[in-house]
Amino acid sequence: MSVPQVELKNMTKRFGANLALNNVSLLIGSGTVHALLGENGAGKSTLVKCLVGFYHPDEGHIQVDGREHRLNSPKDADALGIGMVYQHFTLVPSMTVAQNLVVSGARLPAYINWQSELRRLGEVTRKLPFHVPLDVRVSQLSAGEKQKAEIVKQLYLGRKLLILDEPTSVLTPAEADEVLGHVRSLARTGELSAILISHKFHEVRRFADDVTVLRRGASVRTGAVADLTDDALAEAMIGEPVSKMVQHAPKSQPKSDIVLSISDLRVNGDNGLPAVKDLSLEVRAGEIVGIAGVSGNGQLELVEALMGQRDRSGTMTVSGSSFNGTRQEIARLGVYGLPQEPLKNACVDRMSLAENLALRNFDRVPLCRGIAMNYGALADQAERLVAQFRVKAPGLNASMSALSGGNVQRAVLARELTQDVRLLVASNPTFGLDFVACEETYRRILEARNGGAAVLLISEDLDELLGLVDRVLVMSAGRIVHEVSAEGADKRVIGKYMAGLKAA
Amino acid sequence: MDAASIGWLALPLAILGGAIRVSTPFIFVSIGELITEKSGRINLGLEGTLMLGAMAGYAISYLSGSPWLGVLSAGLAGMAFGLLHGLLCSVKRVNDTAIGISLIVLGTGLAFFLGKPLIEPKAPPLPSIALGFWSSVPQVRAALDVNALFFVGIALAFAVYVFLNRTGWGLMLRTVGDSEDAARALGFPVLRVRIVATMAGGFLAGIGGSFLSLSYPGSWSEGLSSGQGIMAVALVIFARWRSINALGASLLFGGAGALGPALQGVGVTGYYYLFNAAPYILTLAIMVASTSRAAPFADAPGELKLHR
Amino acid sequence: MSSISGIESVPSKPLVTASQLSVALPVLAVLLASAIFAAFVALYGQNPATVFGLIVQGGFGSSFAWQDTLSRAAPLVLVGLAVAIPAQAGLVIIGGEGALVLGGLAGAVVTLPFAGAHALPMQLLMLLAGGLIGGLWFGLAGVLRQFRGVNETISSLLLSYIGIAVFHHLTEGMLRDPASLDKPSTHPIDPSYMLPTLPGVGVHAGLAVSLLLAIAAHVVLRYTRWGFALRVVGGSARVARMIGLAVNRWIIGASVVAGGMAGIAGAIEVAAVQGTANSSLIVGYGYSGILVAFLARHQPLAIVAVALLIGGMQASASLLQRRLGLPDATMLVFQGLIFICVLVADAIAQQLRETTRR
Repeated sequence: MSVPQVELKNMTKRFGANLALNNVSLLIGSGTVHALLGENGAGKSTLVKCLVGFYHPDEGHIQVDGREHRLNSPKDADALGIGMVYQHFTLVPSMTVAQNLVVSGARLPAYINWQSELRRLGEVTRKLPFHVPLDVRVSQLSAGEKQKAEIVKQLYLGRKLLILDEPTSVLTPAEADEVLGHVRSLARTGELSAILISHKFHEVRRFADDVTVLRRGASVRTGAVADLTDDALAEAMIGEPVSKMVQHAPKSQPKSDIVLSISDLRVNGDNGLPAVKDLSLEVRAGEIVGIAGVSGNGQLELVEALMGQRDRSGTMTVSGSSFNGTRQEIARLGVYGLPQEPLKNACVDRMSLAENLALRNFDRVPLCRGIAMNYGALADQAERLVAQFRVKAPGLNASMSALSGGNVQRAVLARELTQDVRLLVASNPTFGLDFVACEETYRRILEARNGGAAVLLISEDLDELLGLVDRVLVMSAGRIVHEVSAEGADKRVIGKYMAGLKAA
Repeated sequence: MDAASIGWLALPLAILGGAIRVSTPFIFVSIGELITEKSGRINLGLEGTLMLGAMAGYAISYLSGSPWLGVLSAGLAGMAFGLLHGLLCSVKRVNDTAIGISLIVLGTGLAFFLGKPLIEPKAPPLPSIALGFWSSVPQVRAALDVNALFFVGIALAFAVYVFLNRTGWGLMLRTVGDSEDAARALGFPVLRVRIVATMAGGFLAGIGGSFLSLSYPGSWSEGLSSGQGIMAVALVIFARWRSINALGASLLFGGAGALGPALQGVGVTGYYYLFNAAPYILTLAIMVASTSRAAPFADAPGELKLHR
Repeated sequence: MSSISGIESVPSKPLVTASQLSVALPVLAVLLASAIFAAFVALYGQNPATVFGLIVQGGFGSSFAWQDTLSRAAPLVLVGLAVAIPAQAGLVIIGGEGALVLGGLAGAVVTLPFAGAHALPMQLLMLLAGGLIGGLWFGLAGVLRQFRGVNETISSLLLSYIGIAVFHHLTEGMLRDPASLDKPSTHPIDPSYMLPTLPGVGVHAGLAVSLLLAIAAHVVLRYTRWGFALRVVGGSARVARMIGLAVNRWIIGASVVAGGMAGIAGAIEVAAVQGTANSSLIVGYGYSGILVAFLARHQPLAIVAVALLIGGMQASASLLQRRLGLPDATMLVFQGLIFICVLVADAIAQQLRETTRR
């Protein structure tokens, strides 16, 4: 089977009143890598889900080598040699790589003789560019290995069009280069074509031949990557000329007083093994300290320990007092947070918007006297915050999941940053947000910093981090392995530390 | 050699015999629950299925004269309940714990209602195999008078092991239970697999129930089950979702359950009820010892919403 | 700009509002369950109309029926609260039976050493003892969940069986009244200590106790910061920890209070009905409590209404048996059907609310 040319023509898809795809056409030439750029909600995943048979377009059709095909299920896509590597891996964690390969085959075998099966798989995968151990459980692989195993699976299945959904978000820069480099060379040698969904321009530039930009369900720009400048791509993506992303506020000289001080912090992960190992750091008033790192290197556990959500050992003090995350300490020392995925990690979905806005002060005057709640005062506060932070919601009594992601974030910003903040812990605060909500989040974080708060910002997005912080710490395998001030930061050096290639 | 001369040996013999007897329904119910849980669903309603199976098995055995036909009908009745559970839990947002409990209420209700006329008549019981034929000691003969279903249960445990590890369908079941995303990406019919797995679980639980009414002492009453259906859920956790472990765990629980009657048999009666609670205490102790706050149920199928 | 400028109106008005749905669907569900039940009794050769007539008559048709219903509803309210209160904190604790019988046992024996005392302190003592023991028993499930990660649903059921075994062990051993021959019981409590009958209603004072506790639960959950905190803990333990709530304490506290409710129910059964602790206490209150709580969506005041309904159904069982020869289990079948239909209706209502939002 040679590598086909795949064409999507005039695709339109509605979800209720919402137009997710509006007459989008896309041509993926044989042996090319085609990048899809766009903000969250621009329609990228809807488009490719039509291509793998998850969704059926309301209008439009799919042609493979000029012939029209109707894809009713992933099985149909499978038969055409179209396969997708999802952002959240779809390997079964409790099974070995070999078991995953067998179960993904087009026909399930009735009985499996593992001895001969392993021999056969070994021979097949030997020809592939990556090497992944076959008899190891997927749950024991690193993120990079999982990504490779996913691609091995696709190649093993003889896929000719590979769809990669933000494949590098869990990889170190070096791993990302390796994986995408292989994909590109496979395309060059005519083994396959690929669609690369991304929001990183430099990736698109290095690894893709063509690019299509989606905005609000419509294709707004398409062409060869070489013909388009970064500014043109960015403008197409957000629909207006871009100024510099965030005006880096003039740096105020950080005051000398240390707000957050952690020493010898040890935290265990969900699997009971140490995730944060003997970590020490300090954050001063009026500075933003960033923690860079590939996800899964202990950042989540660090944040949860700081917020009192996870058991820890070691000492943590805020403004000189020991901090254990009780309500009294939080209020007295001014410790607040902006977790990632705020709907899940900072809101109670069963409770109303007004109640969620009151989570920080529901037990204090005027919302509460003695033990009796004053729901009138609670509604007044909510009304005020909603107006001040321009939260759009169906009503104050709406449940949080009725709000869009950006408005959930605004509600959380309203709740956390209207307190007397002296330490702010922000963890991937813009993950999954649209451009406007990102901008607003950055602005509010900088405002808090300028107001004298100490900010600890944990982010997997190195570009975001370097744009905001005063000082960068790199976290790898549960330790801080590198520290550099924002001015002196070199992305390549930081990347090496993130990958664990250099030790502290 | 007469009965008196075996002395203290009477106790372990009674426990052995009792363990085999008590464990048999456990084997079926727990392996049934294991299959269901491997698909990512939990069926808390097997207690009701068990009672329904006990009643249906007894009724059909009585009406047809064939205990094996009774066992089959019990399985089918259980399968019907499994289908009901499977369908109800396929409705989005339904609370599967609560559905399980409602099926306990409905299952016991139906069993008691339809079983009312069965309390008097005597149905033909399941045959047993006299493995103690070589001995003249009555206690040995009694202990080794093993019901045929026990052997079916042992074979079942190994068959399920092979199914889950060496067949394509077994891998598909595990995929569905471990990662719904993966299963969907592979185009597996997630709901159908779960419904079939719940039906299989119900079928086995129904058979486990038929053992309660069709083996020794061989009668139908409303007090036949003492929570074996609920215990099965705990037992599967203890067995870490592995069928051979479930077999061992069932034998262990059977032994614990046989402790009270065995002690009573040799004249120790003081703590009869407390010894009867031994399986529950054992289960709880094992759960306390084998889970931890940091990593509750690390081996559990990923889609199983047993914690949080 | 008005003060609520951020609030947008919902774009299109749905055919039915969410609140209308949340009333209509459960009613439809009960009707559907009734229809299935009617078919079931018809298959059994009974006229469904007669059966439903007898259920209404037996549960609510006379003052005698009402008394029976109300005195059955009293413990049902409490075992319902025993499921609903932890449910607010996100726990599914369903082993109410064990806490109930141990609470009953505590109530039965605690006054035995005191002969000739005033009735009121003795009555309070009985309720207190029952509540305390029940609370301790459920608290164990909360502790195991918080500190060992043991699933509370399963541990509470196992604890229930263990509790019943302990109950049998004590009532047939150490605490047995040698005079109780065919039904091993504890020594009967002093008749003057029995809970009085409410004047004008003809039902024991336990009903008033359970109503008061239901109202108290309603007020605490709805109007105090404790209720607010409990709902945060139940909605998301992660967020509760983030805002500094001591989740352990709230979880264990809710379990203890819930166990206390079940224990008090047992003590009321002893102090108002049985006069002694024996196996008559073990009649499946645990499962009934789950049914009541889920049908009432864990809302204390709704629990009172549902408990009346279920109590009435249970009270009518004996009439059905006497008149039509239908077994006791008839009502169990009906309850199971209602339970299933309401659960599914709830799920559908939730889905509808979510889709109308988008």
